[in-house]
Amino acid sequence: MKKIVKNISLMALGLVFITSACTDLDEELYSQVTADNFFTSDEEFISALGQAYSGFASIGNHSQLWSINEIASDEVVIATKGGDWFDGGILLALHQHTYAPDNGFFNNTWGALYGNINTVNRLIFQFEQLGTPEADAFIAELRAVRALWYFWALDAFGNVPLVTDFTDTDTKGNTSRQDVYNFTISELNEVIPLLSEEKSSATYARINRWAALTIRMKLYLNAEVYTGTPQWAAAEEDANAIINSGLYSLEGNYASNFAVDNAGSGENIFVVPYDVNLFQGFNWHQMTLHYVSQGTYGFNDQPWNGYATVEEFYNSYIDPDQNPGPQGMVWADEALEETEGTRDARLSNFIVGPQFLADGSRAEDGAAEADDPDGAPLTFSPKINEIFPNSWRQGGARIGKYEFTSGPSTMGNDFVIFRYADVLLTRAEAALRQGNNADALTLVNQIRARAGVAAFASISLESLYGERGREMFVEMTRRQDMIRFEKFDDPYWEKTQDADDHWEIFPIPQAQLDANDKLTQNPGYN
Amino acid sequence: MKKYLLFGLSLFLVSSLWAQEGSVTGTVTDAETGETVPGANVVEKGTTNGTITDFDGNYKLSVSDDATLVYSFVGYAPQEVEVGARGIIDVSLDLDIQSLSEIVVVGYGTQNKKEITSSVASISAEDFNKGTVNDPVQLLQGKVAGLNISRPGGNPNGTFNVRLRGVSTVGANTEPLVVIDGVIGGSLNTVDPNDIASIDILKDGSAAAIYGTRGSSGVILVTTKTGKKGKTQVDYNGSFAIEDLARTMDFMSPSEYRDLIYNDSRFNQIPDGATRPVNDFGSSTNWLDEVTQVGQAQVHNLAFSGGTASTTYRVSMNYRDTQGVGIGTGFEQLNGRINISQNALNDNMKLTFGLSATSKKAQFGFEEAFRYAVVANPTMPVNFDGTTGTIDRGGYAERDIFDFFNPVSIAEQNVNEGDDTKVLMNLRVNYDFSDFVEGLSVAVAYSKQEEYETRAEYYNKGAKFRGFGRNGLALRSENRKVNQLAEATGNYTTSVNDMNISFLGGYSFQEFFEEGFGMQGGDFLTDAFTYNNIGASLDFPNGQGGAGSGANEYRIIGFFGRLNLNYDDTYFLSASTRYEGSSRFGVNNRWGMFPAVSAGVNLTNLIDIPFVDNLKLRGSYGRTGALPGQSYIALQQYGPTGTFFYNGEYVPSYGPISNANPDLQWETKDEIDFGFDFSMLNNRLSGTFDWYSRQTKDMILQVNVPVPPNLFGQTFVNIGQFDNSGVELSLSYAAVTNKDFQWDVSFNIATFKTEVASLTSGDLSFGEGGVLYRANMGAPGQNQTNLARVKEGEELGQLWGVVQEGINEDGTPRFADLDGDGTFCSCDDDRQVIGNGLPEATAGFTNTFTYKNWSLNVFFRGAFGHDLVNSYRGFYENTEGTTVNNYNVVKTKYFDPSVSRAAVSSVHVESADFIQLNNATLSYDVPLGEGSQVRRLRLFVSSQNPLTFTNYTGVDPEVRYTDKNDSDNGGRATSDADADGLSPGIERRSTYFTTRIFTLGLNLGF
Repeated sequence: MKKIVKNISLMALGLVFITSACTDLDEELYSQVTADNFFTSDEEFISALGQAYSGFASIGNHSQLWSINEIASDEVVIATKGGDWFDGGILLALHQHTYAPDNGFFNNTWGALYGNINTVNRLIFQFEQLGTPEADAFIAELRAVRALWYFWALDAFGNVPLVTDFTDTDTKGNTSRQDVYNFTISELNEVIPLLSEEKSSATYARINRWAALTIRMKLYLNAEVYTGTPQWAAAEEDANAIINSGLYSLEGNYASNFAVDNAGSGENIFVVPYDVNLFQGFNWHQMTLHYVSQGTYGFNDQPWNGYATVEEFYNSYIDPDQNPGPQGMVWADEALEETEGTRDARLSNFIVGPQFLADGSRAEDGAAEADDPDGAPLTFSPKINEIFPNSWRQGGARIGKYEFTSGPSTMGNDFVIFRYADVLLTRAEAALRQGNNADALTLVNQIRARAGVAAFASISLESLYGERGREMFVEMTRRQDMIRFEKFDDPYWEKTQDADDHWEIFPIPQAQLDANDKLTQNPGYN
Repeated sequence: MKKYLLFGLSLFLVSSLWAQEGSVTGTVTDAETGETVPGANVVEKGTTNGTITDFDGNYKLSVSDDATLVYSFVGYAPQEVEVGARGIIDVSLDLDIQSLSEIVVVGYGTQNKKEITSSVASISAEDFNKGTVNDPVQLLQGKVAGLNISRPGGNPNGTFNVRLRGVSTVGANTEPLVVIDGVIGGSLNTVDPNDIASIDILKDGSAAAIYGTRGSSGVILVTTKTGKKGKTQVDYNGSFAIEDLARTMDFMSPSEYRDLIYNDSRFNQIPDGATRPVNDFGSSTNWLDEVTQVGQAQVHNLAFSGGTASTTYRVSMNYRDTQGVGIGTGFEQLNGRINISQNALNDNMKLTFGLSATSKKAQFGFEEAFRYAVVANPTMPVNFDGTTGTIDRGGYAERDIFDFFNPVSIAEQNVNEGDDTKVLMNLRVNYDFSDFVEGLSVAVAYSKQEEYETRAEYYNKGAKFRGFGRNGLALRSENRKVNQLAEATGNYTTSVNDMNISFLGGYSFQEFFEEGFGMQGGDFLTDAFTYNNIGASLDFPNGQGGAGSGANEYRIIGFFGRLNLNYDDTYFLSASTRYEGSSRFGVNNRWGMFPAVSAGVNLTNLIDIPFVDNLKLRGSYGRTGALPGQSYIALQQYGPTGTFFYNGEYVPSYGPISNANPDLQWETKDEIDFGFDFSMLNNRLSGTFDWYSRQTKDMILQVNVPVPPNLFGQTFVNIGQFDNSGVELSLSYAAVTNKDFQWDVSFNIATFKTEVASLTSGDLSFGEGGVLYRANMGAPGQNQTNLARVKEGEELGQLWGVVQEGINEDGTPRFADLDGDGTFCSCDDDRQVIGNGLPEATAGFTNTFTYKNWSLNVFFRGAFGHDLVNSYRGFYENTEGTTVNNYNVVKTKYFDPSVSRAAVSSVHVESADFIQLNNATLSYDVPLGEGSQVRRLRLFVSSQNPLTFTNYTGVDPEVRYTDKNDSDNGGRATSDADADGLSPGIERRSTYFTTRIFTLGLNLGF
């Protein structure tokens, strides 16, 4: 036995020798960067600021903030086309105001809102550590960016958690919509004077003073909805500040604001600078166009045949009663042939009527429903036969607002978040609601003149609401407008009267409630 | 004598001292063949006096009076002969299958089976699966209780999922560790199935613990064939096989489809100017025939081996050429191997060297061709002929509709290929210090494996599938992996009275490096280049091309030791530990300890049990670990997060892409195993039983974390716990043992149970509130429809969905209002568990009948208790307008023409219990005359997968351990590596159909 012990200890000795030689577990980096080898140059610091803006890339994509705002309004619908686009019924629920907290679109939206708020909080914290003058300017801009996300968050979900300090790691419960509103306003009040007044390529696609004023203007415009207290005068004042800057003006051509190369628009105040290569994520052509439209435009990928315009909304352009103006041939109803109607320049918002391939021949939908009067030749008819279950594949005017061009599954048009026309219409509405009809009429007629339609002789809330609808189609204002003008709960196409108004605030996503027991659901949802 | 058996091959006795009492000479021969046996041990019993036979099997030994000689050689039953007065003793040794299988390969060594106290299964070449077997793991399919090997469909390039004892983790390492001739992490692709001598599976934690951070999913030890001393042997194994479809999906024939549309007012209207309804394209196409062919395979293996007293070698070359049943699928592979062993320094030093190289060219083809063959309208022509409603895409008829591609065009217009080159070399030097310290030997080993893979795809300019929209599309990628291992081990054996003691100690250093590069670009002027001139892509000058590259490295360093005690061949104890570290762990937790202990007692040495020859009870405990699946995930990393517009130009934006987790450590599995091994009825019936229970905790998963305090929204943490248990039983029985006729039966069965004990750790949770929903059904129309749920406290494998109660008048399915609130809502309140994706039991059953020179082997395997979501039915088994207008209609026995909506529900979840006649092989050994130059000539025919018994109506009832999310409209399915292990039980549409193989083969040896 002694011998064994001796031998074992000999071996152990050998191991100890090896131990000191070869126990190095330090990792070697190849295609990775860590804090040790990054943030060493100015360029690398600026690249950090970019995170505050790269988060906007989700805005032009399906199943996010834009989708819930638009599908829940009377502008657009994704109808169930047989076996296509049912997707668990969540799209119908959005249109028909029967949405539940476990609808994945809400959680996607929440994730984007708070992901970006957290990013901004982190960047503010990081730039505060630097303490340089450039860092201070960045911080003011970052707070304005955060105010925009909070504006969208309180608008969609109402009583959202207020997370403002990166170093505060406590889980947050709900904050009342009023308090989130107050915070956002006070943030904007503080940073607006610090932001650049410049409108140039240096501030393009970033929040300058005028973009921040627009955020505050829109908060004031909807203040009664958010807080119960209207702020018409304040909204008008902010609109005036933007107008009086003289930096922005209506483009002569409505469609040029949404052209492939729309960076030169004098009307756009804040945009998401999409690019087919460098800033991707905008894919409305995929969302709205028919499969066969691939051949019309020469897209790399087949579109999805999803979003279409609600017919009543489309008709608000061509109906001379709602929209007086020059009469001419327009597509209506089943689009079998053109009929008489108002020719509004803003009909560029739609793709409607017969569709052709690049070589001039008719595009054919081989799988068209037998009861579709347009048959196989692809024709986008304003009429949608039903929302469920067998909506025509060719039904509904498509969203043509942004110019489409051949190429990849992502678009390069800059996505308009804020536009001067909205400022004019806000001032008009604020004036009208304060009894200043004349001012409102002048402003609305400016907008109408640009659209090539007849001036209104008089103005009412109803006609102003209609004009906002035509002008701002799918610019994420319709749901707000419908709520503010008390139309959101009304019955419209394939939707019944809401029993109460709790649908005006979306439910807190179920996944968030599960993960955070301090959160409570918004009223009316269970 | 035990000691000699134990070290049979390597132990040589130096007989320098013996009394010159008398001398015996003789020849040792093989009892069966009469060939001489060189290198056999001849030892005087009870002494160290002995010798080995020379090259011609002759020996000469001086012995004392009354000596008894023991003749032994590996693979033969030892024989004892009393010398008496004889001077010449010739001995014929009988082959001993029992003794062959009694040497069991374990981690860092071998053990006699009787000493094994943990759960280890050992399969030698004669028990391997037969027929055309291209992947080494397929040799084991169904043979080992608890080792599940599945490859849904018959893709010749498909990989097998290997799960030992069910699913015990959802971390990165769910497949067993492979060790080839001692090379940890060796690639099975470097080994041709023909070159494998045996495969051993370390099943329980105590057996695998010596492999530390990589033992949790079990260990597969592959031992390749080596040369034997003696005459040169040349072996040729060749086979030719044909392969055809076995199971497919039932869908409507052209006439059935026409019956449907002509008799339904929704579809039978004839447009103005047309003669047929729009959905009748006037042709009749059997799409399945169009995308399949009779597959062919040939396998040739030539090996030569031999050796002198000090050198043995074996060299082999393998060639495989396979064309799958899917057109454009197959591979061609060449593999070479050299194993050399040399003794030196008075046989105290033994050098072994192995080199293998594999070169493979694969045509991967497209599983999508099968998918769209099922759903293609059967009245469409294959080639464009001007039929209304079809469009011309490179000469093929296409339809401009969502998620449809002409299946023939997918397979014929496009290419998807790759080359693999793999080289594994290992050198081992063993030195026996017995001259200095009796029983001590030391070994050092070094190995290097290099794997280089290239992949290339090209989609034709005219191909609707991925090519047309891009005006031609080329993809290239390459990947290189290097694995270097250096190890040193010491062995010491001794005995004290009746106690045999052996001790192993060692050190292991291993470094892995991997680098990859890939690019893709489209917009070509011509298809002529295919993927060979990617610079001609206009996407690069236009900024639309893509390229990427990356590299990473990690190390694993381990110290290990093991002590084995054997008291009087009756009581056995084994204790081991490995202290191991990896650079993949966080800095605070780099090193972990993985101990194991096991013990056994051979009851038949203590008490007589009637009819029982041998009964060993054993129990074990072992701790193993699992590594993170990627390097650097414990570090705070930054990376590109897009771009933003700064001063009028796009500049890159960088942000955190991971959080630091300095505490990140190994996943830990603790396992206990109790079992017994027995043989009875004069060894005719033998078997093994095991019960195990394993607890896996600290799984390495990426979970959502709050931001702040974290910079990034997800962190890799140690979280969660799985509890896993089961029983395993293997039996073999020599039912008939007549001289001319033998019938051997073997059977194994294993049960599984996996509970998701926890998905949370403190405030963190993998999944919100301990529940995860995953596995989206997909397009068309069934996005946002999860098919699987993982819930804390419940079993893994839950299939999730709505329950169909009946069909409404209008043809829509009526779903149950499960929460009883009066209405059905399309939400989780009205969904429930509607199936179980994991099997409760798997079994294998082998019968071997031998009559004179004929042998028939029939092997069945099965899996029971699992369900599958039949996706094809969930999408297409209905008469909804979208289905009929766009696609063909799936028509299984469940088809109900009144159902007019596509909505996946409980009715599409089917029990997938199956019993498969996996293999039937008939072989004939041609009798060879005395003195024939030919040593062996065997002819065989084999049929693989000829029959499957199941009620499942989908393509393949095989267990789906992972889920590859369905893509649509030209996207490619998830790679095997990224498949989701948390949503088992879903048969997706892109499934290569199953095949049956008929092989004709020949084994020739001389």
